[in-house]
Amino acid sequence: MNRHDCQRFKVNDRVEILELCKAGHVRIPFYVRGKIGLIIQYCGRYLNPEDLAVGKTSGPAIDLYRVQFDHVELWGESENLYHDRLVIEIYDHWLKPIKQIV
Amino acid sequence: MSQNNDHDHHNHGDHHHDSPDGEHEALVIEDDVGNIDGQIMIDALQSVLISRGLLTAPEVTKAIQQLESPGIHLGAKVVAKAWTDPAYKARLLSNGKSAIQEIGVSVGEAQIVVVENTPTVHNLITCTLCSCYPRSILGQPPSWYISKAYRARTVREPRKVLEEFGVTLSKEIQLIVHDSNADMRYLVLPEPPANFIEMDLTTLEASIGRDDLIGVSR
Amino acid sequence: MRGYHDIGGDTAGKIPKQELPWLHWEKQTEAIRNLLGDGTRRIISLDEMRRGFENFGAEKYGQYSFYRRRLEAMIDILIEKDVISQVELDQVVEEKKRVWDKDSKQGTD
Repeated sequence: MNRHDCQRFKVNDRVEILELCKAGHVRIPFYVRGKIGLIIQYCGRYLNPEDLAVGKTSGPAIDLYRVQFDHVELWGESENLYHDRLVIEIYDHWLKPIKQIV
Repeated sequence: MSQNNDHDHHNHGDHHHDSPDGEHEALVIEDDVGNIDGQIMIDALQSVLISRGLLTAPEVTKAIQQLESPGIHLGAKVVAKAWTDPAYKARLLSNGKSAIQEIGVSVGEAQIVVVENTPTVHNLITCTLCSCYPRSILGQPPSWYISKAYRARTVREPRKVLEEFGVTLSKEIQLIVHDSNADMRYLVLPEPPANFIEMDLTTLEASIGRDDLIGVSR
Repeated sequence: MRGYHDIGGDTAGKIPKQELPWLHWEKQTEAIRNLLGDGTRRIISLDEMRRGFENFGAEKYGQYSFYRRRLEAMIDILIEKDVISQVELDQVVEEKKRVWDKDSKQGTD
């Protein structure tokens, strides 16, 4: 596998969280899967907890991003008139690019 | 995989705690027997690990001391410095870990993201999957932070959660909830008190509490 | 595919506010996990421990206190990885229980 020198996403990219059917230890909670958010920060590269959980420590390290969601996107509650947000960290392999809003 | 555990688990059921506000979500708390059980088990595990040459008793004692030494006073030191030193604050917001280490506080986590409260933004920290918290700086999280109710509700109805902590946010204030699910850990940088310029550093530090750093106060 | 620990967004009651003390055995549990996961040992990582309590099953997960979960998870993973055996652990637990019972019976005179 070739190493990427630059990450797949940059700040302000819109992304969708994949609904991966992974057994075992994952750190992407159910409530953000399939949702669309915005990259707000690149966090660096970290070993994949899905691998660490089964003792695989040799890598590769995965790009980690902080992704921001509108409260309404996550919970679909039309009564929420506020501009509240949720921010969570998502590993690269859980992310899919979405066409940018022009 | 199931473990053949010979221990009786006494009273590991839910304990309800009544309060003037009504029914609280139960916290599972060990009773005396459960705590004795826990002590016996960890002592036994420690013995086995020592006999296998994997650790020593002095190492465990030292590791416990290291767990006990961080606390809110360290977070308060960071915040008070950020309030009084704009260049430090900028460094803190840009790279929390290195700025915190700069003032002699050691940081075990991969990175600390410091999120700033402003007149129009309020930040709240949670960990829905378990209990992630900047332990190497602040020590252990409070019981409510790791409770099912806090973990479940902060991402979905954070304003109601804040109401339970006595905080009412106007709708002009944007609330940002941070779920610490991966390698980052979070500290809230609260707004300084109105008269902070008149306060000495010690008084300023003493004014900053744990709840301010998690985001359940404002 | 949703773990029972993955509760973000679930309905729940009011937040229990009582502050609990942090007991010696709980600190010892954390200390030992930290030591076993450190750079010189790398015997059990945080994620392995998390996998441990995510594998308890909902009932066991729900009945344990927070630190007890971590202790039990650590034991499960150490046994799984053949770092320790159930038999040797049970033996030492029994010895320590005997000592505790004996000391308790001698009372606090």
